[in-house]
Amino acid sequence: MAAAVQDTTTPSFRDVDRSVLRVMEMPGRIYWLWVAFCFSLVAFGGAMWARQIYQGLGVTGLRQPVMWAIYITNFVFWVGIAHSGTLISAILFLFRTRWRTAVYRAAETMTLFAVATAGLYPLIHLGRVWNAYWLLPYPNERYLQPNFRSPLVWDAFAVSTYLTISALFLFMGLIPDVANAREQSTGWRKTFYSLLALGWQGTDEQWRHYSMAYLLLAGLATPLVLSVHSVVSWDFAMAQLPGWHSTIFAPYFVAGAIFSGVAMVITLLIPMRKWLHIEDLLTPWHFDNLAKVVLLTSLIVSYSYATETFMTWYSGDKIEQMTFHMRYFGPWGWMFWVMVLCNCTIPLLLFSPRIRVNLTALWIISIFVNIGMWFERFVIIAGSLAVNFNPSQWAFYRPSLTELSITVASFAWFLGLFSLFARFLPIVSMTELKEGIGWLRKALRKDYEKAA
Amino acid sequence: MSPSIEIVGSFADEMACTHCIEKLRAVRPAALRVFSPIPSHHIEHAIGKPKSRVRAFVLTGGALGIVSAIALTVGTSWEWNLVVGGKPIVSWPPFIIIMFELMVLFGGISAVLSFLFNARVPAFEIERGYSSRFSEDRFGIVVRCDEGQGAQVESILKESGAEEVVREAA
Repeated sequence: MAAAVQDTTTPSFRDVDRSVLRVMEMPGRIYWLWVAFCFSLVAFGGAMWARQIYQGLGVTGLRQPVMWAIYITNFVFWVGIAHSGTLISAILFLFRTRWRTAVYRAAETMTLFAVATAGLYPLIHLGRVWNAYWLLPYPNERYLQPNFRSPLVWDAFAVSTYLTISALFLFMGLIPDVANAREQSTGWRKTFYSLLALGWQGTDEQWRHYSMAYLLLAGLATPLVLSVHSVVSWDFAMAQLPGWHSTIFAPYFVAGAIFSGVAMVITLLIPMRKWLHIEDLLTPWHFDNLAKVVLLTSLIVSYSYATETFMTWYSGDKIEQMTFHMRYFGPWGWMFWVMVLCNCTIPLLLFSPRIRVNLTALWIISIFVNIGMWFERFVIIAGSLAVNFNPSQWAFYRPSLTELSITVASFAWFLGLFSLFARFLPIVSMTELKEGIGWLRKALRKDYEKAA
Repeated sequence: MSPSIEIVGSFADEMACTHCIEKLRAVRPAALRVFSPIPSHHIEHAIGKPKSRVRAFVLTGGALGIVSAIALTVGTSWEWNLVVGGKPIVSWPPFIIIMFELMVLFGGISAVLSFLFNARVPAFEIERGYSSRFSEDRFGIVVRCDEGQGAQVESILKESGAEEVVREAA
């Protein structure tokens, strides 16, 4: 369609519907093989977790002093990934950002499944998972309630609130779209979409209340997204461990979360755009803007690394300085430099407008960012624990097969759920694309002019 | 008084639909209902209904969240006065975090529930005049009026650019 866009009336509302609904037609064998592959890995990871529950945490590589390692790294990584969805769907909605309309549904879906993945890790990390309910405000047998001064309890509240609000936000946005899908489908799909659409007919009365509820949800989700990763960062910053105890952590973690999350949106959208043939909805204009967000947050993250280093030097605290010396030049120093390369250096390529719209280059850069941000969390969490106050305790951690399998399974779980959503529910919002149809037409005309 | 009728006009263009609503309101029909595939501020302003009551529900929900968090944190701390880390039994700074999270949680749930309640969804009946195209690419205006006003309403709809005008018995 992009090449045919020469006038100001295409694509029409109907063209948008056709492009999105075509994606929701019955997928082929390769798709089902991919989903089966993902869930086979999940089953393997589940079996490894079952073994861990049966045999205890001894099957992991967790040993004193590194008792938080890959599982908690994965938790922070996935919570971070989740952040871009709310940024794109709520914060950019409040700012009426034009390019968000085509990408926000995929980002929001990614958010929901990323939080659902992150939420598994505190459970997986527990030696006695059957006591997980102790985090809830529920008194134990001695009527002792959870300690609300503990950041771990804040985290339980923050992550469960985030999961609930993300799910509600996604569901609210889906209602007009599934009502549209209901009108254009048959068989079990019609029943499925009718149930989800709740009898939506788009009356002025429905839109009046819907628009207000959506606006207020966006307004509530905006400070929530900033609070959640701040609370996650306080899991570390509230402790007195060198490398963790820092006032910079909240803004530093939030910027890092948006950085990694937007990179993950790019990682998912570029292949999805090609495989689902939605080049006419996701244009280089959208990717150009996503890349600018990655570049901006990369600069903030780089600045945070520099500030953290400066603070360590300026504080004159010998123990803190030793921790950071080991972080840069110790046995795990290579991880720090991988993180600097991936998070600070490679994203600088995005200053080039040509690279920002070169989707292959952008996709490769986004993968580097994902790798770099995973290492960042690992370096902070396990790296600081390995080199604590007392050198006689220093010990370096090696992940076990159980931990690696569960990590791979969590990626498979996330990709499997996302793949299922992408083919059975509208992965691009038809309603919002139509609302901003003028901007989409303009973006496609620009592509056409370039191609011509 | 002549019997009531309903006239349905279908538009391809949002602004034509908006102008038509403004003209129709001047005629003061018995009822006016608009179907739209997208949320439209133009249409919302033209119809001139007051702001949604969802705001009040969300405010109440958010306030309830804060009060619940105070009750939870302060109440459970008082229940067993255990000093942890030398901090006061009622430590407001950490409790504010729980208050904030529950404010957002209760406010968000209130937003969705009040939308469902005020917009009357789930809706089990199809509104009169609804067509599947109003969920796809057309804007619809359903005017309920006396039969005597019918011709005038139809002419406004047609002059405003309605692609199709259908008269139904109310």
